[in-house]
Formats: sequence, C-alpha cells, structure tokens
Amino acid sequence: MAALLGISVAAVAGMVAALCWPRDQTVLRVGVFSGSYWGTPNGSSYQVLDDAISRFEAAHPGITVEYESGIPVDEYSEWLAGKLLTGEEPDVFFILPDDFGLLAETGALAPLDWMMNGEKGLDRGIYYDACLQAGMYEGTQLALPYESAAMVMFVNRTLLEAYDIPMPENDWTWQDLYDICRTIAAAQPDSVQRDYGVYGYTWQNALYSNGSTLFSEDGKQCTLADSRVATAIQFVQELDSLDAGYTVTAQDFDTGHVAFRPFLFSEYRAYQPYPWRVKKYSSFVWDCLRMPAGPEGGNTSELHTVQVGISARTTHAELAWDLLCTLCADETTQGQLFLQSQGISPLRAVTENIDLLDRIFAETQGTSTFNSAAIGEIMRTAVTVPQFAAREQATAMAETAVNSALADNQSLTTSLATAQRQINLYLQNTG
Amino acid sequence: MMEQDKILRTLRGLMLAINLALMLYYSLIRGLTPLRVAAGFEARDFLAAAGQIPAPPWQMAILSLGLFVPLAALILGKDYLPSDRPALRATVFSAEILLAAAEVVSLDFYYRGFFLMVLADLVYTAQEKYGRVCTIAVLTLLYALADYSIASVLFPSIPVRQYLSYYTDAFHSWFSGVESLLTSLHVLLFVVFLVLLFLGQKAENTRVQQLNAQLQESYRQLQDYADKTEHMAELRERNRLAREIHDTLGHTLTGIIMTTDASLVLMDAAPDQAKKQLELANRTARDGLNDVRRSINALRPDALEHSDFAEALENTIEKFCLTTSAKVTYTQNAGKLDFAPDEEEAIYRVIQESLTNAVRHGQARNIEVCLDRAGDQLTITVRDDGMGMPAGKKEGFGLRHMRERLELLHGSLQYGNRPADQGSGFELTARLQPRQKGEENI
Repeated sequence: MAALLGISVAAVAGMVAALCWPRDQTVLRVGVFSGSYWGTPNGSSYQVLDDAISRFEAAHPGITVEYESGIPVDEYSEWLAGKLLTGEEPDVFFILPDDFGLLAETGALAPLDWMMNGEKGLDRGIYYDACLQAGMYEGTQLALPYESAAMVMFVNRTLLEAYDIPMPENDWTWQDLYDICRTIAAAQPDSVQRDYGVYGYTWQNALYSNGSTLFSEDGKQCTLADSRVATAIQFVQELDSLDAGYTVTAQDFDTGHVAFRPFLFSEYRAYQPYPWRVKKYSSFVWDCLRMPAGPEGGNTSELHTVQVGISARTTHAELAWDLLCTLCADETTQGQLFLQSQGISPLRAVTENIDLLDRIFAETQGTSTFNSAAIGEIMRTAVTVPQFAAREQATAMAETAVNSALADNQSLTTSLATAQRQINLYLQNTG
Repeated sequence: MMEQDKILRTLRGLMLAINLALMLYYSLIRGLTPLRVAAGFEARDFLAAAGQIPAPPWQMAILSLGLFVPLAALILGKDYLPSDRPALRATVFSAEILLAAAEVVSLDFYYRGFFLMVLADLVYTAQEKYGRVCTIAVLTLLYALADYSIASVLFPSIPVRQYLSYYTDAFHSWFSGVESLLTSLHVLLFVVFLVLLFLGQKAENTRVQQLNAQLQESYRQLQDYADKTEHMAELRERNRLAREIHDTLGHTLTGIIMTTDASLVLMDAAPDQAKKQLELANRTARDGLNDVRRSINALRPDALEHSDFAEALENTIEKFCLTTSAKVTYTQNAGKLDFAPDEEEAIYRVIQESLTNAVRHGQARNIEVCLDRAGDQLTITVRDDGMGMPAGKKEGFGLRHMRERLELLHGSLQYGNRPADQGSGFELTARLQPRQKGEENI
C-alpha cells in the first residue's frame, strides 16, 4: 500500500517537475502570414517584423522570438486554427479581420485590459477609435490594431474629363455621385462599347456613409429594417437602374470604361507609385476620394484592421505584452510599416506625421486631390464592422433577403422587417 | 464469506479495468481527433462549431492517467488499511472520492462511472455507519451533478460527439457502440456488486442475530445456575446449623430435661440422689454451652481462627499501618491477653472498627491504641489526631454495633472529640470485665 502510494506520488511529482523545469532560454513564438493582407504586392513582407523583433530582443536579453515563415495569407486562418486545436498556438499572433470574431468567441485571445491599465499600460488615445474598436469583444480589449485599410472610392479621371465632368471634392454626397452617373448614362449610345457610372458599389458600402451599420456592436441584433438601411438600398437600386439591361464587370473598370469603383485604400497605395502604376490601370489616370455621404451620414468608410493578439494560454503573458506593444504601439515599428506596407497605421501620431506622409505621397501623382489631411479625416470618421463568429452567415442571409426583395419588387420595408426577425433569431440561437 | 469476498474483489477489479478502457478511449478520441482535423484542414470549421478552444490534445490522457494510477492504488491497497485508525481511514476514503472527482473533471465529464466504482468500493470497505451514509450521499450527489448536460454549464467543454463527427459513419458507429457497451457493462457490474454485497450482508446479519440469541440463552442459564448454587449453599449451611443445634443444644437440653425430671421425682424421696442428678444437669448444661461456643467458633473472624489473640491484634495493627498512611502506636499494659472467644472477638472488633473510623472519617495521621487493666476491668482506648466527629452527628452503625457487642458482655462504650487543649481528634474508650476462666457468661 505504502509502496504503491509512494510510486504514484513520485510519478506525479516527476511529471510536474518535467513540465515546470525552467528552460535555458525563453522563446516567444509569433504567428504571422507572409505577404500583405491587402492582396497587394509586398516585396519585403517580414522586414518590419524582423526589425521589431531585433529591437525587442535587444531590450530583453535572454529572450528569443521565433516565427514560422512562408504561411500565405489565405492559408493563415486554417494554419492558426490548426495550431489552436493542437495546443501549439504561438504566444503572439496576427489576426485577420475575418478571424477576430471566431478567435474572441472561442476564448483564444487573452484579455488585454489589465495589461493596458497596468504599470506598462497604454493610453487608448494614441489609436484611432475605430481601430481600437476592432479589437473589442463584449467590452473587453482582446487585440491591438497593427494595420488598417479604409474603403475609398476610385475615380477614373480620364473618363470624367471625357464627359466634361469636374472632379468631385472629398466631401461629396450621394446626390453628386448619382448626378455624375446619370450624366454618363444619359450620354451612352445603345451599343456594346459603352461607359458606366459605377461598379461594385453595394448597399453595404452605402449604409456606412448613411450613418448606419448592419449589426449592433455586440452582434446580437441585426438592424436591416432601419430606415437608413432602406434608404441606402434604395439609393443603390436607383444607381443600378441607370444602367438597366447592362451588366458592369471588373473588366470594364480595368479597361477604363467605369467612372467609380470602391476599393480599399491599400490598393491606391499599391498601384499609385511608379513601377506598379504601369502594371495596372495604365490606360487611364485615376485617383481616389472619400466615400460619398448619404443624407443621414457623413463621408464614412468601412475600416478593415489587421490586429495582433496574445494567446490566452501563453505562459509568458508579460513578455508577450511587451512584444505586442513593440509591434502595435511603437512609433518606430508603425512608421516603418506605414512606409513599407500599403495600410494605414492605427496610431494617430504615425498616420498624421507630416514627414512620413510627404514621403508616401511624394511617390504618387502630384495632381492628386487625395492628400494627407484626407487620410486623417478618413481614419477619424471610419467605422469598424462589428466582428462576431456568426457574422459571415448573418451577412449572407441579409444579402439574400435584400436581393430577393429587389428582384420580386415586394414592399422593401415589409421584406426587410421579416428578414430582420429571421436574422435576429439566427443570431440569438448561435450566440 | 471468504468466497463472496473473492467474487466482490473480482467484480471490483473488472470495474477498474472497464474504467481504464473507457478512460483510454476518451483520451485517444480527444488526443487523435484534433491532429486529424488539423491535418485535414478543417480546424477553422471545427473551432467555429465548437465555439471554444480545446485543451491541448494529450492533456486529457496525461491528466486522467496520472490520476488513475493513485486512484487504482488506493482502491486496491485499501484492503490493507488498519481498521482501528478511524482518522486514517476517513482520510483515505476522502482522498479516493476527491481523486474520482478529479478524474471525472479531467475527462471533461464525458464519463462519470468513476463515481459508481468508488461508491461500490467504499460501501464495501467502509464499515463505519456514518462514514458509509456520508459516502453514499456525497457520491450519489456527485454522480448526479456530473451529468454532461449539467456539468458543461459550469465547465464548458466540447462534446465528444463533435470529435466523433469527424470520422466516417462506420467508425462513428463502432466507436459509439463500444463506448455504450462498456458503459452499460460497467453499470451492470456495479448493480451486481451491490446486490451481492447486500445479500451477503443480510446473511451475515441473520447469523449475528442467531448467535446473539444463543448468547442470551446461555447467559440466562448461567444466571439460573448461579441462583441455584447460591440457594444450595444456603440450604447446606442451614442444614449444618440445624445439625449443629440438634447435636449440641438438642442433646444437651434433652439430657438436662431428663436429669431435672429425675431430680424432681427424687427430690423428696432421696434428696441426695436428686442433688447428684442436678449436678449432672449442671455439668451437662456447661458441656452444652462449650459445644455451642465451639460451634460459634466456626463463624469467628479469620485472624482469630488459628492464632494467638495477642499476636492477631498485633498483626492486624501492623497490617493496618501497612495498608494506610496512618501511624499507629500500640501500647499493651494489660498483661496476658487470655479471654473467652466472644470477649476476644469484641475487643478485636472494637479496635479494628476504631482504626477504620479514624482513617476513614477523621483522616487521622497518628493513632494511639492502648490496652489497660485495672483490677478486673479492661480498658481499651483509641485516640487519633484526625478531624474528630462533626457536632450533632448521630451515632453510626459501626459505633452502635460496638456498643451492642460490649453491652452483651456487660461492658460500656464512651467516645467523643478530644478536649480542645489536647488538639483535635477523636477519643474512644471501651470498658469490660473479662470473665475469669471457668466463669461462664450466662
């Protein structure tokens, strides 16, 4: 009896000792994807990270930071999920915008509030609200923003000039957009080779600039039946009806036959500088504008943010926090990132740094109406789409409902109210 | 009984084996499935469906196996637990329950049969009445609460069916089939174990009751024998006394009646003859008296039975000094102590009783015993330095018997607290006139 007990106690003690034995060197692992999230060419995707790691290691002797390189962006979600499933997730990892809801809901992310408010804390004011908002889940900060990109409107200036239309200002409205599109549509001959007003502008792009979002912040309520949403849908329907009978394609835009197309700001930065400009959209001069303002909203853009979080199961929480700050709150890192990548820094101090902006815009065409002041304004007014695991499915349901309502010519208000009830039911059941 | 023990232990061993098998089954499902899911690029779907991050794959295997080893050691080693160490036993039982609970938690509440196994084991081992009731209550409650649908509210975990859903239907059915088979078999073994245990216990109870009844009967018979024996001793003693009276008094009185009858007849005709007859009667009476004394001697105190009276007195006082802490000073100024047996007995009893009183009631440290003779009168003085007699206290049995005994011998008894100028204490004086040898106490 005593011998058996002794053996089992020794076995358990051995296991505990093996697990807790101090390693010679602390290794902090980082999960990161290669290339740019924005789908734009990026020659030196690990440069910023490597430099940040060198600075972190210099400031923390005895600590090594490692990462697995070569994971493409489109495989990163699955790679991270696999690591979480097998319990091998990195201490600190990058979070793609579409993954945040799932990671937050499954409890994979360590809450950061106690660190943020602690001794080595952060002032929340250094970030743009919408960027920080992207890492909030049920009132808790779970991730810090690394890089953002806002939706902007690409303008084919060559086309506008051809129709003698002046370039709109950055504070333009839906009405301005509609007027331009109508002017272009009215001038079209009924032939195959025609020009169009807008491509890819959806009711979802419109609703943010009409002061609304599709879901409540906690992801429990859908606001599809809101009058501002209905207005946005009707506006996009009116725009589409201008080109009735014709289908506009991306090809039409690329070949210079469409005046407007919404894009992420990162596209603008990727293709505006010299070498790339030749590669894409070379047949016309283009520029970008803020999104047009709806009757009840402003020139608001939807914001996409890549974030960095700490694993809820990390054994080096403090070190991970230091590394997180080096990546997301350090102006050197963020400045370097702003220069090299195509996103916008979530740090106010970096994004509104005149020197940096001058260096960035020096590479672009001198005639651009889009200047450094506009970027700050976009970031300050941008909104982050609420992130939650069921968002993808709920958004698809809303899109289906809107499409069928438009196709069947039913009363929009009634259809939206019915769809909202169904989506709310779904959200409550999955939440 | 031994055979039943063997069966119960075998059943317990089987339950342990089934629990081990199920534990390994869940650990393997839990350990292998995530690796399979991750390798099949379905990890994101899995997480979305699970709504939570599972613990590392082999954590369940390590924890549950790590807990199983001490649990099995406790269960199998408990037979060697000493039955006279209640604290140790309670500790071991509690440890076993805690280990079972930890085991169920480590298995994410997929399986709670460990509580049944420990319940069976403890009901079998714990003979303490309250211990057993507590054990049953605690384990039943734990078993009820450990139901997956209840426990997963407090301890959210990914249901085992989600892991199983990543296998083909055929594998899925096989796995579930083996799992339910083992679980049901375990429950069946548990029921059989308890039924056998309680049947065995009922037989044991009946046997104990029978034995108890037999014991009661024997006790009653023994009591009867004791009563009878006492009664017979009494009868024997009575017979002896009757015989004694018959042999001594009867014989003597008969002789006296006959001689006095004869002397009455001869009184007038031959006064000399009558006188002779009366003398004869007188002698017969004296002889009779001696016989009676001899008979009474048989009932005298042991000390006086076989020894010289003076020596007996000294022995008694010496023994008294040895057995109590009091110091007795014995002064004998009465010359040769040669008395009739009833007188000896009276003197002996007076001294014995006084010494006892002095120590018992007076807590005396020093006692003086004095025998004096002035002419025909013998004086016995017993004086102590104890607390004396409380004022107003009535004469006790001891003193009253002493007085009666002395009065029978025409003696007297005086006692009281010593005068204040002589210090505290009690003083007793007995006086009697011993008969001359040959002079009978009539």
